[in-house]
Amino acid sequence: MSKPLKCSLCEEAATVHLAQVVHNKVTKVHLCEACAQKGGATDPAVFQLADALTSATQAAPTTTCPQCGFTDIDFRKRGRLGCPSCWEVFGDALGTLLTKVQHEAEHVGRAPAGMLPIGQLRRRLDGARREMEQAVAAENFEVAARLRDEIAVLEQQLTPS
Amino acid sequence: MSVQDILDAESELTHLLGAQQAVVLSTRIRLARNLDGLPFPGWAKVPQRKEIAERCVEALTELPKFRRGHVLRMGELQDRDRAVLVERHLVSKELASGKSGASVISRDQTCSVMINEEDHLRIQVVKAGWHLRGTWHIAEQLDDDLGGRLKMAFSERLGYLTACPTNVGTGLRASAMVHLPGLCLAGHMDKVSRALNQDGLAVRGWLGEGTEAAGNIFQISNQQTLGLSEDAILKHLGGWIKNVVEQEWNARRKLAKDEGERFTDRLARSYGILRHARLLTSAESMNMLSHLRLACDMGCLPEELRHIVDRLMIEGQPAHVQARAGEELDSDGRDRRRASVVREALRDFPEVAAPTA
Repeated sequence: MSKPLKCSLCEEAATVHLAQVVHNKVTKVHLCEACAQKGGATDPAVFQLADALTSATQAAPTTTCPQCGFTDIDFRKRGRLGCPSCWEVFGDALGTLLTKVQHEAEHVGRAPAGMLPIGQLRRRLDGARREMEQAVAAENFEVAARLRDEIAVLEQQLTPS
Repeated sequence: MSVQDILDAESELTHLLGAQQAVVLSTRIRLARNLDGLPFPGWAKVPQRKEIAERCVEALTELPKFRRGHVLRMGELQDRDRAVLVERHLVSKELASGKSGASVISRDQTCSVMINEEDHLRIQVVKAGWHLRGTWHIAEQLDDDLGGRLKMAFSERLGYLTACPTNVGTGLRASAMVHLPGLCLAGHMDKVSRALNQDGLAVRGWLGEGTEAAGNIFQISNQQTLGLSEDAILKHLGGWIKNVVEQEWNARRKLAKDEGERFTDRLARSYGILRHARLLTSAESMNMLSHLRLACDMGCLPEELRHIVDRLMIEGQPAHVQARAGEELDSDGRDRRRASVVREALRDFPEVAAPTA
């Protein structure tokens, strides 16, 4: 008998085997019962996650989080991060994964009091610049002046202190 | 405070009679949050997890929402009690299966916070019926109150930082629990599911991730948490739920019209079984109760009886039956007990009539 396959998300023996065909590309995911129960078997995101996880080889860790000791290999095994600082440490590798899982790479929602969600500011800045161009073209200088002031404030907020 | 108190209390989902609605059983908001500077529960050492639990419990119990509420530590509970909490959707299977998890639950069971699940904090708010904005505002308020007491892990670029990349950003999972017997009977559910999936919504069974859709009940929720504002996520889900509810009503009306007497007969047969069976498995009772709920929605039974059906769906689950019995029951014993609870509850129900809706 061949050696049992290991779960793509943890180290357990895989008992659930899934295959997904997208644009003639076959992605296979092997899950243990626990991970399959956790939603792996029905959640489309699992394919994207597992794809990113399994595409890496079982090499020695190349990055380690100085805060918590979590490594890139740990992430490939578990699909979860070690601590909030890991998001900085593994930022580049996660960027690609994030756009696969989330389709976007920047937060635009709520923030704790005193914090500013940068994506939201950038979007507002882009919008304000567009609106100002339109206002100038329409010779609506009063509106353009108001937008110019708003742009200055936004640019200042977006400048790293 | 014990799990028995939770069972005995009049809760949002079991007793809030006025709010019960056709099609949408409940609305749920979940926010994933983590304390700044501490490892996520899955990577934290036992003493760190203890510290996390203590800090979170302390902050939560100071909030007015949780006054006279429940603080339950998973390691101190019996298996059966943990199973009751899972069946009530107050805690996840994942939290219930570990020792270092805790749950803080408001007295009316609308607000519950899981501690040391995949993230340090999972704030959950549930309301009976379809109340997306109202449910969101309660969650938002809780988030603000908690954010004033605990420093949350947050990045300006990525938003709220979570253990798993599928939750980062808003950490928001908004969902509706919907009862779709019309779409299921008409054979349209696969199509609806696919359409929802393609537009970024997940469709799951009654007990959440990886469970079967017992009783034609599905949980529909957003998948994307990053790059969309909370408002956009809620609008997207809200639009689709409205659409699904409409399609469900169309399917029901068409079935009732096309099938005529056979439609009523189908519901009446389920009613007959529930009313007289001596042994009822959990799956069978869920499916029959689904027909009974449909009968209440369609005017085949008085609408004001719907809350009894909803309560039986919750209380007919295995751990609930076991906990109510107060003694260890084997599988037959549970089926016998479930059947008797259902018979008793339906004793004063009138006969199933032809639909009026």
